[in-house]
Amino acid sequence: MDNFAETIVSVLEAKFGAKREALAKWDTCVVVEKNDIHAVIEFLKNEYQMDMLLDLAGIDYLTYPNHEGPRFAISYALKSMKNPGRRIRLKVLVSEADLKVPTVTDLYKVANWLEREVFDQYGLTFVGHPDLRRILNHHEFVGHPLRKDYPATRRQWLSENDYLVPELEKHLETLGYKVIQRSEEINPCDNEYLEGSIQK
Amino acid sequence: MTAEAEKPNIITTSLDFLVNWGRTNSLWPFPYGTACCAIEFMSTEVGRYDLSRIGSEYVRFTPRQPDVLLVSGTITYKQAPVLKRIYEQMAEPKWVIAMGACACSGGFYDCYCTVPGIDHIIPVDVYIGGCPTRPEAFFDAMFDLQNKIKDESYMKQRMERVKEQIEMIKAKTAEAKQNAKDLVHEKIVDISEFAAAKKDQLLKKAQFWKE
Amino acid sequence: MIVLDPNGEKLNLMPLNMGPSHPATHHCVRLLAAIEGETIVGAVHEIGFMHRGFEKMVERGTWQQVIPYTDRLNYCSAMMNNIAFCRAVENMFGIEIPERNKVLRVIVNELSRINDHFICVAAAFQDLGGTTPFMYAFNPREEIMLIWEKLTGARLTNSFARIGGLYRDSYDGFESDVLAACVSVEKALKDLHACLDRNRIFLDRTVGIGKISKEDAISYGWTGPVLRATGVESDLRKDEPYYDYETYDWDVVVGTNGDANDRLQVRLAEIEESVKIVRQALKRLAPGPVDIVDPRIRVPSHKMAYQDMEGLIGRFKSVYEGIRVPQGEYYCGSECANGEVGFTIIADGSGHPYRIKVRSPSFAHVSAFAELVEGLTLADSMAILPGLNMIAGELDR
Repeated sequence: MDNFAETIVSVLEAKFGAKREALAKWDTCVVVEKNDIHAVIEFLKNEYQMDMLLDLAGIDYLTYPNHEGPRFAISYALKSMKNPGRRIRLKVLVSEADLKVPTVTDLYKVANWLEREVFDQYGLTFVGHPDLRRILNHHEFVGHPLRKDYPATRRQWLSENDYLVPELEKHLETLGYKVIQRSEEINPCDNEYLEGSIQK
Repeated sequence: MTAEAEKPNIITTSLDFLVNWGRTNSLWPFPYGTACCAIEFMSTEVGRYDLSRIGSEYVRFTPRQPDVLLVSGTITYKQAPVLKRIYEQMAEPKWVIAMGACACSGGFYDCYCTVPGIDHIIPVDVYIGGCPTRPEAFFDAMFDLQNKIKDESYMKQRMERVKEQIEMIKAKTAEAKQNAKDLVHEKIVDISEFAAAKKDQLLKKAQFWKE
Repeated sequence: MIVLDPNGEKLNLMPLNMGPSHPATHHCVRLLAAIEGETIVGAVHEIGFMHRGFEKMVERGTWQQVIPYTDRLNYCSAMMNNIAFCRAVENMFGIEIPERNKVLRVIVNELSRINDHFICVAAAFQDLGGTTPFMYAFNPREEIMLIWEKLTGARLTNSFARIGGLYRDSYDGFESDVLAACVSVEKALKDLHACLDRNRIFLDRTVGIGKISKEDAISYGWTGPVLRATGVESDLRKDEPYYDYETYDWDVVVGTNGDANDRLQVRLAEIEESVKIVRQALKRLAPGPVDIVDPRIRVPSHKMAYQDMEGLIGRFKSVYEGIRVPQGEYYCGSECANGEVGFTIIADGSGHPYRIKVRSPSFAHVSAFAELVEGLTLADSMAILPGLNMIAGELDR
């Protein structure tokens, strides 16, 4: 297993100019250039059977002691199903000035939600993501809660739940359907429970 | 509503007793279970603890049928409008039990996304502590609620409700009358404006022909 | 809404909202489906109704204070999460826990797995309208809960594991209690199989419903029983063994079809394997220490704190400052009841975690839900959802 880690790190170093992360003392982590990440993951998936994307973890280094370099980072945890025991983590550094990261939704289906989560919690946008919106927090939420400068107890009330029909229409369009007449929106009102829920 | 009817007498108190007896012993819960406490509620329902001993065997998931809204688990800001809507949809009489620390006060999730106690959204009758609540504590809360229901007066509530309704009807009638008045007034204004415009036009025409 | 389908035909679809207040969605998933008659044409789903900020909360406490929060991730098998987290931090320290601790952790792990699988199967039956199996499954569960009460003092959220040890050693009579629980688990399994295997209604509703291929399941990041139901033989206890799992005699359970029925059957078969492991582990339970002796990591016992200056200092320091995990970052995954629970840990060398990201299996499973239900009827969607075993605490964290 160690052999595999060494070879893969040297291959990535030669091919993409990646660096080994010094902080990862207990597993293999490689820092790659932000714009290379799609190519690196595709390479790993095709050549080394890294066929499962386990996790995307956003990191905010704002208060990290002695940290130099870009503020944000994303850690991609990959695992191979064909060769059990082979794991690797990839890390991309994202500066505050340019929060755009290439998406990997075309390689892994789970990346869709994982990237939405990182967008929700850190505000990093993924270029080419089909449906980038908040996933864990509600749609009226302002700010990105897991950033270190967001106070933990700043609460935000939600007035009404997401309507979600536009998303359904968008999804139907991707399935090949064409919406020619929209469904009517029913506006709830305060007296609704007295007067019945359907109003014309 | 005469003053006579407001005093309790043997008929009303007997009726109260009967209604309360019925309500006490058939409390159907609506398990609004979001988190860990819901699992404990499931344990309370089945074999070893057996919630049906106190007449609560029917767990109903539609807000129209049950009597007790049982909020077990953390309520987040995303969940809050849903919970409020469910409470509003429930039929009277209705009671609310906040089960577990999260529902009572937010528990140890003092965070950007959790409501610090459901009493910010809906009124609560009984609070139960514990993270999660033990089945015994849940039974204790049910007994507390039963005692509370026994003290309620059906006739009194009904009277208050009727009073409220009469007041509401009065207010609505007054509002409707005012609306009608305003409407008539607007119409008169409309007509007079229309007449003035017509007159102007006629005058202009006459002027034209004169010339 | 009126749509034109890919063939150019006009369809009148009805958008129908299910959840979050629905008995089968457990108040944590909302499904908006466009239905034609009773068939779901397209669906989108939304989560986040139980997002309680695990990742923000743990940054405020010390390393030991993370353990109660991990309990409430997958609350059906709370102690497995404790152990997964403690294992990750122990790996960062590079410490080896004592033999008795390992065996106890294996027993606790497997009993928790039994608990979790029973709840999942019971809830699945309940959602399909069967109350009897629900009652059958809860009997052995209650028995295991009694063991938890004696062992840890709590019924559900136990917080039993500690970094470098356990909250306490087992009590007298633990072995006989566990053996008795194993017997009643097997009895309940027999009852459940009698309800399930030849039940026409149940089979009609679950066989061939919600099928997923191996490739799709892997692409969706599925792990644990739901992945094994599709026929992939993948179990971290065998692939990357920890706590000597490879030395026990047990098999990885694998399904064939990857449908809703397989997911439940795999869970029931895994209970049998877990009972096997528990029985073997009980034989290995030899007397010995459960905690490591290092006051910088594991809080010294009360006895040491009262009699020894070093013990007192160790206790003060680890309670007030927290233990100091070495600076660095690490991903460690463990096989929990639902699949691979992983912790991406960023430590800055202080007594507080800098960032902990949980890789939750439910999140990956539920992300496939909308695609699974497309083309099926509305009632089928509720037969699929409980088989994925979505646990709100783990799904939204």
